[in-house]
Amino acid sequence: MKRAQQLLSRVIIALSMSFWLHGSALAGVAIFGGTVFTMDADEPRQGVTILIDGGRILAIGDDVDIPVDFEQVDANGTVVTPGLIDSYTQLGLIEIGAESSTVDALVTARDGQDGVKSSHELLGPAFNARYALNADTTLIPVNRIGGITRAVVAPLVGNSPFAGWGAAIKLTDSDILVKPELALFGRISIDSTQFVGGSRGAVIQHIRFALERAQSLNAEPYQAVGESHSLIDLAALQEFLKSKAPLVLTVHRANEIREALCISRDFQIPLIIHGGSEAWKVADLLAAAKVPVIVDAMDNLPINYDQLGARSDNAALLTAAGVPVLFTTEVTYNARLLRQTAGNAVAEGMPYMSALAAITRVPAETFGFDSGVGTLTTGAPADIVIWNGDPLELTTWAERVMIDGEWIPMKSRQTRLLERYKVLDRDKPFAYH
Amino acid sequence: MLIVGANVLTGTGEKLEGVTVHVVGGRIAAIGPGLDDPDAHVVEADGLWLTPGIIDVHSHLGNYPAPAIDSNSDGNEMTAPNTANVWAEHSVWPQDPQFPMALAGGVTTLQVLPGSANLFGGRGVTLKNVPSRTVQAMKYPGAPQSLKMACGENPKRVYGTRNQSPSTRMGNIAGFRSAWAEASSYRHKLAANADGNKGEGNAGADPGLPERDLGLETLAGALDGELLVHIHCYRVDEMAIMIDLAKEFGYRIAAFHHAVESYKYADVLAREGICSAMWADWWGFKLELFDAINENVALVDQAGACAIVHSDSARGIQRLNQEAAKALAAGRRAGFDISDAEAIRWITSNAARALGIEKDTGSIEVGKAADLVLWDANPFSIYARAQQVYIDGFLYYDRNDPERFPLTDFDLEQTARGRQL
Repeated sequence: MKRAQQLLSRVIIALSMSFWLHGSALAGVAIFGGTVFTMDADEPRQGVTILIDGGRILAIGDDVDIPVDFEQVDANGTVVTPGLIDSYTQLGLIEIGAESSTVDALVTARDGQDGVKSSHELLGPAFNARYALNADTTLIPVNRIGGITRAVVAPLVGNSPFAGWGAAIKLTDSDILVKPELALFGRISIDSTQFVGGSRGAVIQHIRFALERAQSLNAEPYQAVGESHSLIDLAALQEFLKSKAPLVLTVHRANEIREALCISRDFQIPLIIHGGSEAWKVADLLAAAKVPVIVDAMDNLPINYDQLGARSDNAALLTAAGVPVLFTTEVTYNARLLRQTAGNAVAEGMPYMSALAAITRVPAETFGFDSGVGTLTTGAPADIVIWNGDPLELTTWAERVMIDGEWIPMKSRQTRLLERYKVLDRDKPFAYH
Repeated sequence: MLIVGANVLTGTGEKLEGVTVHVVGGRIAAIGPGLDDPDAHVVEADGLWLTPGIIDVHSHLGNYPAPAIDSNSDGNEMTAPNTANVWAEHSVWPQDPQFPMALAGGVTTLQVLPGSANLFGGRGVTLKNVPSRTVQAMKYPGAPQSLKMACGENPKRVYGTRNQSPSTRMGNIAGFRSAWAEASSYRHKLAANADGNKGEGNAGADPGLPERDLGLETLAGALDGELLVHIHCYRVDEMAIMIDLAKEFGYRIAAFHHAVESYKYADVLAREGICSAMWADWWGFKLELFDAINENVALVDQAGACAIVHSDSARGIQRLNQEAAKALAAGRRAGFDISDAEAIRWITSNAARALGIEKDTGSIEVGKAADLVLWDANPFSIYARAQQVYIDGFLYYDRNDPERFPLTDFDLEQTARGRQL
């Protein structure tokens, strides 16, 4: 076995060498030593070597020879993990939340837009976040130097219980869109009742009617469904039903989670619950239906009548019941705090490896990212973070971050401001520093 | 009570190991190795960590309770830009389920402030986080009230969108100055009246008491130094203007709150003796907090200014130790050698100073109130949980004893916590 591995690694190295000789600008990278969470095993590995080239992990193991022209990174004393994945953000859609001219995350009638008479005239489920993604957002550098390498970008509910299509992104400098039409997003809560008359029940009925109408769109001529959906929206829902992409519903209360499960069953739609403050109450149903739940483990406040059952150990209870758990910070600016939410879940009883998987492998698998994303395995896209300690501890930080095989500059607006003002007694005005 | 063997972060910048903390009558009677008291209850704390009770200088618990519904949204009297006449304590709902959740995070003292919609939001109140039927029983004995002011985007947005003043930052400042001018005049009238009543000068010239004005009374109290001035202020340029105003009218600023740009002005803030109450890492949702950096707290601290980590959040107040841990990590990453013992001051003694209660709480020193938290790990670890929380020496929370787990009336058979027990 060992010999086979050696042989394999030599072959791979030979391949990578020839790749390099044929004109790749850089030889690859070798990261050796440290505590390595590959996320395909129950335990971290010690002292393995990871070879990276062509954006991917070429080899990982104990007996991997490092080609002489690879960048050598001594990771001894550090912890190496896959890049972290936030399962619910508005990265690229929001710059300054309070400034509507910088917000592209939702479609809704705004103050002063008298021309918009009804929800009928605005995009509902047909809204597609891919067209709004801004790769130049300042939020990407801030969060990626905190170890976030990929994220799910979800539109927010504006004008319909359906928010629209979300996308998968990587936190690179450009070409951030990895997978458009990743999932359709929507919401069942008191917040999403404003367009349907004020009852959570009406939201559920509205979603069901819209899906039924979309199913039968070809069979009968289009008829307006009151004020609820345009033909464009129904066509989008029909595309969605055909695509077998998941429906991500923001739902907190146990009642509505049950209804969401019925929608999933009746319309044969893969479902992912987001929010899920009371998911622990229906953990057995979620586990039986194999429905994953995206939670914020710090969301324990009975902050409204959808979330009176919120509790700190929600993620632990769901994990124990066999429900796949994914994490979000719910705060796009600070997606970098994903590890704080995971760490708190551990402190409240979730197994450490499950919590780490919830911000690496599990979201990648759940959303159907490229094979190997969220793990450190041969062939996987090389998203790697080197931490100076336990990544779930807040006194730890990311020392280096790699996305798709490239080290990202550990720089953001915030690091530039630090450089400028770290010393206040300057010989020149701050504007020249 | 004797708490024996804990690692003690005193809140004065020191770490003590292997000591005993002796509590008598709700106050710290002695600290040292090998203390004994045959009558005392002994808390074995080997391997545990003891800190002063955590203090949050910026909270809206009770004013913006959970559930956050219109029925109990009582934190912002958004009807006029100057509501110096309102008192936050009159909005505190003692049954807010967020109080015991903050207690479980080690918070023993908190300042509840009016919101930041108005230039003058009203009077803030400092509470001990004790379960009670009434706010009166929660008020920190002897703590001064505060005056809450707000700079920047909030007041001008709230009133500007109604076509009222202020609609600009210069309108904000004009609103502040005219109110302070009026308050100065009101205060002079009060003083002249007091002089007249002493029989000094011409009795016939007694100006008489000015008609009582509750708002001006608040501002006059700030001018007299009886109320501490706490200002919601993000940007350095606005802080500078607020310092000018304080000098023009003769009051002291206790703290700038949110203060995301204090790092740009830490030298001046140190010189002026003004505290900065800061988040560890909030940024971005308004333009005025777009220049926030994680090193803010550490840079302010290293400049010799008073650095405080605050929450302004029912979520954050449960984990102020984690907020401080993030600020600590950022400081260390920037190259500053900051110890755990120094960093704990950001959520204990420095906070007590800004609230004017530093002689009574905020550190583990002989004579101070026994407001204490016993943690199962270094409080800067994410895995640390408060095991026991004492206020005035009384055990109000014990993670391992359901009998010591307060539940509000609201919790009963409604919230997850209220149904579990």
